[in-house]
Amino acid sequence: MALRIKNEGLRKLFWGFLSIFLVFVLWFFASRLESMQNLLPNPLDVLKFIGVSVFSKVGKTTLFGHLYWSMTRVMTGYVLASIVGIVLGFFCGWSKLGASLIKPIYSVLRSIPSIAWIPLAILWFGIGEESKYFIIFISTMLIIMTNVIDGVKDVDDSYLDVARMLGTKENQLFFHVVLPCAVPQIFNGLQVALGAAWATVIAAEMVRSSKGVGWLILMGQTSMNMTQVFAGIIVIGLIGLFLALVMRWLESKLCAWNVRGK
Amino acid sequence: MKKSLSDNKYKIIAAVNIIFILVLWYLLSEVFQVFRNGMLPGPNKILETFITKLSSKAPDGNTLFTHIKSSLIVVITGYAIGVVIGIPTGIFMAWYKPVDYLVRPVFDFLRCIPGLAWIPVITVWLGIDLKAKAAIIFVNVFVGTVVNVYSGIKQTDEVKIWVAQIFGASHFEILKRVALPSALPYIFTGLKVSLGMAWLGIIAAELLAAQSGLGYMIQVARNFGRADLVIVGMLTIGLIGALLTHLLEKIEHKFVKGRN
Repeated sequence: MALRIKNEGLRKLFWGFLSIFLVFVLWFFASRLESMQNLLPNPLDVLKFIGVSVFSKVGKTTLFGHLYWSMTRVMTGYVLASIVGIVLGFFCGWSKLGASLIKPIYSVLRSIPSIAWIPLAILWFGIGEESKYFIIFISTMLIIMTNVIDGVKDVDDSYLDVARMLGTKENQLFFHVVLPCAVPQIFNGLQVALGAAWATVIAAEMVRSSKGVGWLILMGQTSMNMTQVFAGIIVIGLIGLFLALVMRWLESKLCAWNVRGK
Repeated sequence: MKKSLSDNKYKIIAAVNIIFILVLWYLLSEVFQVFRNGMLPGPNKILETFITKLSSKAPDGNTLFTHIKSSLIVVITGYAIGVVIGIPTGIFMAWYKPVDYLVRPVFDFLRCIPGLAWIPVITVWLGIDLKAKAAIIFVNVFVGTVVNVYSGIKQTDEVKIWVAQIFGASHFEILKRVALPSALPYIFTGLKVSLGMAWLGIIAAELLAAQSGLGYMIQVARNFGRADLVIVGMLTIGLIGALLTHLLEKIEHKFVKGRN
């Protein structure tokens, strides 16, 4: 209120720094309290831990190594899920035959939260990489499918009517009207799904794994090393932020005609 | 879209399809036994396990209903606290500029951290009792609620605010009479999303540390190699999640008028 800064971007930057700095200061003093010993690590130690673990190993590999493992799991499952999810979603949303074939199974599977697949995935695929790919795949595919179906359903009926009146064939209708109209919603699905995939891989790694950032924080808990836990959480947040920004950027490039609100 | 008699045709196709899937599933898993050591038991086995589990305590020490009750208590406690604190926080952040400037950057970072990542911290701080699990749910619910309430209030039509200002309404009055009612659909969306997050959170919490609950049940069943019980657990989790969402939608219809 007292500070009036004209430039919007500068003002955001200023408040951003101020608020993060304040949290840091609060955290620093809270961590020095007697009652917080072993419970809340010193933020400087946490930063140091992140810096050190870039070069030296924590467990089997360095911080980048853990990130690499987590990201490989996310990306493998996610890319497969995007392809299958978009195809099945269109089939289910556009064709009535598709809807009657897929909808029943889809509605049952969709109600199951991603985390609940972990035990079954371990039973089916063992504790190796395949089970993680599967968990990410199944959970993100259902999210993407849902968005594709909604996107197809939300296509304005009058567009379809106009196109039909002008004599468009059904497959032209699909490629020239339905597909472009559904793209923003599909992108929304891809974005949500990527965030969900990141959360799911953390959970899967906490339940069973020997590397990855989920393992990193769970190991910190087991060995009562709170510095490691907090370092892991910050890194998880940074990657989450990074993924969201990348998707936002892609959206602004690919769907420039339809940028959704913040 | 064409609304003709052919709609009935697709209903029949759907019904036949479900039966076909069940029969095929039964044949593959029970008659031809293509899945190694019962990794995908047939639908009849799953139904059987479900009925037995209603009264049997093996192998995890509780009947299905006890697990459901245990999970539900935690979810509802954590959800209620998260919503009760989350809604005012979201309103406060969106309506008062200094709060917005100061809190939003931190919040934008916090929302990038999946709620589940806090489980190790909460386990060390609070242990694994009801309080700890409710705290995990709380973290999962709080962020989602705040984000939706915040964007709901932010999307209030400016013209309506100006009109209220011209008629001399105070800042707080505008919030109460204009911004809040118009944000109600967003708030309910937030409530629904958070409910899903809460339900997901409890399963994760119980997978990692618990002595009862549906998440614990499927984890133990996994250790015993009981795929049938795992699937029963998953279906129960899905069903209860769907019921909770349905309940919330009923409430939404009561409160949010003029929507579809």
